[in-house]
Amino acid sequence: MKFQQKSAAAAPALLLLLGLLFLAPLIVTFTNSFMTEGEIALNYTSRLTLFDLLDGVKEKFQTISLIPREAGLWQYADALINQPSFLILLTNSVKLTVPVLCGNLLVSLLTAYGFTICTWRFKEALFSLYVIVMLMPLQAVLVPNYIIADALGIKSGYLAIILPGIFSPFGVFLMRQGMKALPAVYFEAARMDGAGDFYIFRRIVVPQMKSAIAALLMLTFIEYWNLVEQAIIFISDYTKEPLSVYLSRIAEGRVGLVFAASCVYMFPPFWFLTVGQKDLEKGIELSGVK
Amino acid sequence: MSSRQSGAAARLKKPRGRLPGGALAGAGFLLPGFLGFCVFYIWPFCVSLWYSLLSRPINGAFVGLANYFSMFVNPAYLKGLANTVRFIGVSVPANIALSLGIALLIRTLRRRRELFTLIFLVPLVIPSGSTVTFWKALLAYDGALNGLLAQFGAAKVNWLDSGLAFWMIVLIFTWKNLGFDIVLYLSGLGNIPREYYEAAWVDGAKPAQTFFAVTLPQLAPSTVLILILSIVNSFKVFKEIYLITGSYPHESVYTLQHFMNNMFASLNYPKLTTATTILVLLIAAFTQGLLRIERKASA
Repeated sequence: MKFQQKSAAAAPALLLLLGLLFLAPLIVTFTNSFMTEGEIALNYTSRLTLFDLLDGVKEKFQTISLIPREAGLWQYADALINQPSFLILLTNSVKLTVPVLCGNLLVSLLTAYGFTICTWRFKEALFSLYVIVMLMPLQAVLVPNYIIADALGIKSGYLAIILPGIFSPFGVFLMRQGMKALPAVYFEAARMDGAGDFYIFRRIVVPQMKSAIAALLMLTFIEYWNLVEQAIIFISDYTKEPLSVYLSRIAEGRVGLVFAASCVYMFPPFWFLTVGQKDLEKGIELSGVK
Repeated sequence: MSSRQSGAAARLKKPRGRLPGGALAGAGFLLPGFLGFCVFYIWPFCVSLWYSLLSRPINGAFVGLANYFSMFVNPAYLKGLANTVRFIGVSVPANIALSLGIALLIRTLRRRRELFTLIFLVPLVIPSGSTVTFWKALLAYDGALNGLLAQFGAAKVNWLDSGLAFWMIVLIFTWKNLGFDIVLYLSGLGNIPREYYEAAWVDGAKPAQTFFAVTLPQLAPSTVLILILSIVNSFKVFKEIYLITGSYPHESVYTLQHFMNNMFASLNYPKLTTATTILVLLIAAFTQGLLRIERKASA
């Protein structure tokens, strides 16, 4: 087993290298968020200054440097206090994400429970309809989303994004996978004791599903916190945009605070990942159990 | 209430039986969600399908498949479709191979498996917008990468505004989505019984032989599912393309979604709905076909 030993020694080194490469964009964004706006402005431009010309520099490039010459929280202060637009856009992202999170969780749990206890003959056929729609990329769903939003008269507003999100089939699928794994004994015992379906749902099923619920919440959160396509189509007012779309524009206007803005913006999902890694992995695994 | 409970209790003993009580209770839970699902997905899908057969949605004439024929001579649509297919064709196999490799590496670790999985999951969870500035500063014509090249005396390269843009996007997509596949492969690898490896070891199989005779065939169901989910996920790359290169990217990264965005701008329903129907049919045929293969393979 010489090969095994060799590879075992090389694996951590290789993984470490790859991992650093993977984290590079984050590390840069993070350290750069402590730079002064002046340093950022100087680094991320290729325009020649008078000094460059005197020095005989003919061509300049943007520089990505890791360590701030002067570290501080200037950018954060600017983004969070002096620049109300950033907070407004952050609020927009919250306004879009939270209703989808709550609504989708509730609908998914109820529907999945219906699928679990239902004895209807065609329920598997019905469920496969959910699976087919679930496997559709967003691009295939956007036009139907637009058609129904138009019919309901909500096509320029958050509801056009939130309502389809609440009824998105993925949650039903994930919750049903989770419920399938619950042992039937629990239901049986509860029924023997005369518990009703809703009681069983609330007191027995939901508490057992904590990890699957966390998984769904995380996956939905990641999806809607990173909303781009729907925002382009349904939101025309710049002040109503979520941060996910706006951040790429902030850089064009005021590059000085973009790194702090990015850090604030990526912090919630990053934090959720560090506390809920197991749950997220479980969610991904469940989505792979056809 | 009591008849419903006894019905449900009887159902547990006879799971396949059709009892009105269980069906009714189930329907009560199922219905609200299902109605919403119909209103927001199934019904508009049908409307979209119907629109694709009309010359225009209001007072339009029934034109049969004329919209479909016109799509296949529309150069912008064909470009978008071809690029999307090319992107999937390149990035999905690359993602699968790389993620399997990394998953295997992580499996060899004795400690800190969690930490390394976490590292590869980070790009997946953070929003695309938060790293746009980094990618732009790196890859722009006056960007840091060209600055590095200049130090070695090399000429500037147009990373984002030439055919290379396609490869840059493949790279960024791989960076973002690899963690998803890695997690799926780690779970697939964990499900392979140890005895298989012990048997292979007893038989004196070399690591490469074990990989091709045990690991790869055992992972086939995982691979099919990863293939399906990667194809579906690969459409998400539009976020990166849009945020980094804007509405008018280089033609090598002009995707179906760019085409559809233009049609949205002019609200061209025949083109929008026809493009949607074609995409739905392609994805449905592909995923259902793969699922069938997977079921046959695992049966």
